[in-house]
Amino acid sequence: MKDKQFMFATIALIIGGMLAIQFETTNNPITRDTRDLWELRADLEKEKQRQQELNEELQRYSELLNKYKTEGKDEKIEAMEKALADLKKQAGLTTVSGQGIVMTIEPFNDELIGVDRPLPQIDPDMLRRLVNELNRYDAREISIDGQRIVSKTPIREVNGDIYINNEPISTFPIEIKVLAKNNEKLHQKIIASLAVEEFIREDFLVESAPAEKVILPAFDKEIKVKFMKPAKEET
Amino acid sequence: MWLPVLGLLLGLLLGFMSDIRVPPEYSNYLSIAVLAALDTLFGGIRAHLQGSFEDKVFITGFFFNILLAAGLAYLGVHLGIDLYLAAIFAFGVRLFNNIAVIRRLLISKWSDSRKKA
Repeated sequence: MKDKQFMFATIALIIGGMLAIQFETTNNPITRDTRDLWELRADLEKEKQRQQELNEELQRYSELLNKYKTEGKDEKIEAMEKALADLKKQAGLTTVSGQGIVMTIEPFNDELIGVDRPLPQIDPDMLRRLVNELNRYDAREISIDGQRIVSKTPIREVNGDIYINNEPISTFPIEIKVLAKNNEKLHQKIIASLAVEEFIREDFLVESAPAEKVILPAFDKEIKVKFMKPAKEET
Repeated sequence: MWLPVLGLLLGLLLGFMSDIRVPPEYSNYLSIAVLAALDTLFGGIRAHLQGSFEDKVFITGFFFNILLAAGLAYLGVHLGIDLYLAAIFAFGVRLFNNIAVIRRLLISKWSDSRKKA
């Protein structure tokens, strides 16, 4: 009799446990996602606070700048602004002009085109190679069809069109303006370069001519910096 | 008589205290297992009242029914058929039957004792 009671009790215990677990499971299911939401909210809150701090910092610095501007330029500030201007120039963020060379790329023979052969297509690889070769021959600044080439300029093909700095260049002739340390040397070398040969193989006519004054536009897009972080200020 | 009730309460308490939760995809199996367990429990009570209780049958029935129900549900999930409905149906019907029998037995016991008195 006692045995039977114990048996029932044990079974009842197990059933009770199972029932309780089932209850718990259905009433408060495992909340993995909501915890993420909380984390997100906490992060959002943190970011908002950070934004506020940054805004305050920005305000402080602009006040400082105003103060310096009104008080007359400190030497330090002047040097820094000069450095900034230099860096901007180096990065291609300013319009530059000077003696340089102008290259044009166009289909080899216009009259033949459309009759029995299609318009030759420029491959972005060819342009990239040309830019590389120009850089190798000490080109300082390059622009292709009004698009300034900077270190992060993408040259891509999208649906048959060439995009430089995410702007399409489609009309021939393509004009490449180059400023170099030694324009004459660059002109000589680029005409005989492999990159230009590649263009000629693809039915393009490439011409290069030194020019007294070429104007290269500034890079007007935002430069996205992915792998750099500001160094912590030492206090 | 009170020991099984105590066991049930203790089990509930332990289950709630332990804060164990089953992943949602397995809660189906657990619910069927609970049903099977309840069926076995009531079957046991009925057998006890009828005087035909056998502990081996009871214990093996308990575990076997749970495993069978969960296995059927598992098979159903993998075959794409709602086989757990079969388990729910079978156990549900048996549960009602058992409870009805228990009720009748208790009533007859009660009226017997009143007649005696």
